[in-house]
Amino acid sequence: MTTLAETQRLLWQLITAPEGVAAALAADGDRGGSVRAHLLRTVRSDQGLDAAQRLDIYANMYFFRILDVLKEDYPATRALLGDVAFHNLITDYLVRHPPAHFSIREAGRQLPELLAGHPAQTHHPCVADLARYERDLHDAFDAPDAAALRAAALAAIPQQDWPQLRFALHPSVRLLASQWPVHDLRAAVDRGETAADPDPEATWLCVWRDELVVYHRPIAEDELARLAAITRGATFGEVCALADESAPDGDAAQEIAAALARWLANGWLVNAPATR
Amino acid sequence: MRSSARALSMSSTVRAEFAALGYGVGLRPPHYSHVLESRPAVDWFEVISENFLVDGGRPLHVLDRVRDDYPVVLHGVSLSIGSADPIDHSYLRRLRQLSERIEAAWISDHLCWTGVGGHNLHDLLPLPYSEEALDHVAARVRCVQDALGRRIALENVSSYLTFCDSVLTEWDFLAAVAERADCAILLDVNNVFVSARNHEFDPHAYLDAVPVERVIQFHLAGHSDCGTHLLDTHDHPVCDAVWELYAAAVQRFGALPTLIEWDDRIPAFDRLHAEAQRAATVAAQAGRDHARRDAAAPLAADHGA
Repeated sequence: MTTLAETQRLLWQLITAPEGVAAALAADGDRGGSVRAHLLRTVRSDQGLDAAQRLDIYANMYFFRILDVLKEDYPATRALLGDVAFHNLITDYLVRHPPAHFSIREAGRQLPELLAGHPAQTHHPCVADLARYERDLHDAFDAPDAAALRAAALAAIPQQDWPQLRFALHPSVRLLASQWPVHDLRAAVDRGETAADPDPEATWLCVWRDELVVYHRPIAEDELARLAAITRGATFGEVCALADESAPDGDAAQEIAAALARWLANGWLVNAPATR
Repeated sequence: MRSSARALSMSSTVRAEFAALGYGVGLRPPHYSHVLESRPAVDWFEVISENFLVDGGRPLHVLDRVRDDYPVVLHGVSLSIGSADPIDHSYLRRLRQLSERIEAAWISDHLCWTGVGGHNLHDLLPLPYSEEALDHVAARVRCVQDALGRRIALENVSSYLTFCDSVLTEWDFLAAVAERADCAILLDVNNVFVSARNHEFDPHAYLDAVPVERVIQFHLAGHSDCGTHLLDTHDHPVCDAVWELYAAAVQRFGALPTLIEWDDRIPAFDRLHAEAQRAATVAAQAGRDHARRDAAAPLAADHGA
């Protein structure tokens, strides 16, 4: 008699075995066969299917259900790597990051992290950034709702209060810096074109959701730096100081005013501004 | 204006808590736009709870709009009521918030476990039908119902293996859990059919053993024949044999709210809707057949006397 917990741990161990139940049991046989013995004491075999074959039904469903979800979450990553390499990548991924969240939408969260140190980067150096970008699109889709700050709401703020203003970015905003135009690659895949490794091109992206639709826009390096400063809690004065450093020709004030107008129009800023 | 449910006959204390919704379908993303724009004449929708336990964006927007016009049932896949892990109370808090947000007609999940050791297999695994599992599950269902503030319905799952430690049949286990935990039963007729084939039992024996007053809803779906076993794939129309079993279920349990699940190779909405309409037709016919047999029974008895 095994306890419920022991039974479930045994089944989880075999269902998630990367090479399948039969391979896991064969490897166990080389070590004395204690897992096989446990399985045979736990799951019934019959004339139709033995215990390992029955468990293998679940093992296949586990892998292919999550593979299908990750194909949808990372379509360009999959297209770039190809089906076989993506399949093998997900096999590796599930060993390192077995799903733990109640939602299967979270199952692929750590894939960009895994790719950042993965041999796949040798042939596809942009692949980790591409996966990060695809994750950002995914996360922006159902990020919290928040009322975007509009220009009219700022009109009444006295000029002397502006340096101390703190903004926040809309919860859906994601910022990405890459050496490759990964957004173009994803767009090509979305259009049904063949995925090809892009030429290197320094790229800074903002991904966000306005109402229900997810957008992305290439931005300048200094603009990304300013937006990142806002996420760290910088005051507007501190954000302007960043602009000053990056605009030696003296038109920083105009530039930051134009950037602020753009952020407001895009709905990237939230929260009523508050003074310290 | 939120719609009122179609009246169907239901009785008993448990059933009184569950509205007579009629014939519904599972709400899936490919149909969101059609449903919002066309407001099809479906009685109700069921949604996968976890798909809407999100912070914002389109899923919740769609759900709110759908709920404006239809009753909605929350059907979960990650409650993991049979897991040896502790109950996930943060999950339950979010589920309760969602349920209150949309005034869910009811909340259901599966009599199964989906993970252990903090992991989620995202699959519905069967339990050993043992006294240990019965005690464990019944206590957890009570805990869940306390946390949600309402009675839940548990669904029988399709299964592909059985355990050496089982001392009860699946149907006796299901009935015992429902009685001990005082919960309702969502009877998935396709799952009864699939498991009956896979484990060589009589599906009618299953139906006959389930307590009538606990069953509050039916599920119907298509499955695939893999040769050595049937697989609950939700990617086909309901097959004739499952329609026949459904008719038998209606005769035993009554014309309860019925839901068509179709999760893969999802057809156009009208095809899905037609399947729900067929359920209404089959249920009505089963009801008439049942009434005729009831009326004929005394005559048969007279002949035999």
